[in-house]
Amino acid sequence: MAGSMDGDEMDDGTNGTMDGNRDPYDLDELLGAYALDAVDAHDRRRVEDYLEINPRAAEEVQQHREVATMLAFTGMDAPDGVWDRISDEIGEQAPPPGPELAKVMSLDEGRDERDRRRRGVSSVVPWIVSAAAAAVVAVVAIAVVDRDDAPSDPIAAAVEAARSDRDSVTTTLVSDASDAAAEAIIDQDGHGYVVARDLPTLSDDQTYQLWGVVDDQVISLGIFGPNPEIETFTVESEVSALAITIEQFPGVVSDGNPVGAFVGSF
Amino acid sequence: MRRDYADASDAALVVSIGRYQQAALAEAYRRHAGAVFGLAKRLLNDHARAEEIVQEVFVRLWNDPNRYDPERGTLRSFLLAHTHGRSVDMIRAESSRRNREEKEARQQADAGYDLAHEVWDMALAGHVREALGALQPGEREAIELAYFGGLTYQEAAEQLGEPEGTVKSRIRSGLKRLRNELVNAGITVGPE
Repeated sequence: MAGSMDGDEMDDGTNGTMDGNRDPYDLDELLGAYALDAVDAHDRRRVEDYLEINPRAAEEVQQHREVATMLAFTGMDAPDGVWDRISDEIGEQAPPPGPELAKVMSLDEGRDERDRRRRGVSSVVPWIVSAAAAAVVAVVAIAVVDRDDAPSDPIAAAVEAARSDRDSVTTTLVSDASDAAAEAIIDQDGHGYVVARDLPTLSDDQTYQLWGVVDDQVISLGIFGPNPEIETFTVESEVSALAITIEQFPGVVSDGNPVGAFVGSF
Repeated sequence: MRRDYADASDAALVVSIGRYQQAALAEAYRRHAGAVFGLAKRLLNDHARAEEIVQEVFVRLWNDPNRYDPERGTLRSFLLAHTHGRSVDMIRAESSRRNREEKEARQQADAGYDLAHEVWDMALAGHVREALGALQPGEREAIELAYFGGLTYQEAAEQLGEPEGTVKSRIRSGLKRLRNELVNAGITVGPE
């Protein structure tokens, strides 16, 4: 199919038959077809290489896909029974081990994201940093993970591996308002674990939320729910302190609640 | 622990899915499985295989939620992009591909396959119809064969008897025109 030289005025004649040194114009012209999966493997590779270095083109592809989404919606319902099969399938799977941990995702959405974050940083950093400094003095014991269930739990095994790695860093998160504590471990690859099973169970409309101080900015690192056990997160930069706050479900974008927070520093 | 995710944003659902909250996946399924199934069935023309695609798409979301970036697009767009890609893979892997292309693409063309009719039932059908009506016929045909026919732009060009470059350009210009028409109609296309 590919490669016919039809002489059309919009075709530069490089339909997969030449050496691949497409010019940007030609690659731009392919973006619509690429977004609809209407390119062959050869063109797909070239477009994907192009998207890696051209954010504008990547945004255009996403816009095309959003348009296709509008066309695709048919108002149909999924057939009965499919969810049951999905539930069965995921129910049989153990959580993925460390390298496949869920990426940290910001809850920020919307146009005012950066403004909100800025406001959040300015108000949250001081209490986490000051509380973390106090926590260093206050910590006298480190929570020990119950290892009884470790052999059958890949996350617990990952925690054990991280804890025994000399390149990992650990801290204990404590609170003025509770005798409970949580242990946090971050390995050299940025995979983090919080052993939080000793934290008090919250009501269903509340959740624990993890925050990290990175380059003097506070970012949300995860939502743990009201009854956390061993929770995971990832970081891409050095974290100087962590805090677990108690928030209304499903968590907040910024301005973490300092009341009763569990804080620790590295 | 089960909780109510009905009011949670798609982004929040994915965060919870990353924390192995099956109820969050169930809510994502409730919101988007119909669209996933509809697209897969339309592409594959096979109920059982469309169900397989639905299962695969949501299991993949469960296993690898970090693939979704809420800053780059909607969850529905993300899921449908995967749905489309897998369906097209399935189509192209068929040993009887040639027969199918010749038979079904011709049937679609001969039947005057009408996008406007197909999307009639969607909530925003009126605006989408208008947007489709703003396209040049060649743009509509090219998008139709590429997206719903599962053809490459070269294959669509062959079906339409048009130069490949023309079809490639028409797909792109048609998608841009559709977007502009929808935005002008006050419809949000993509993340807020």
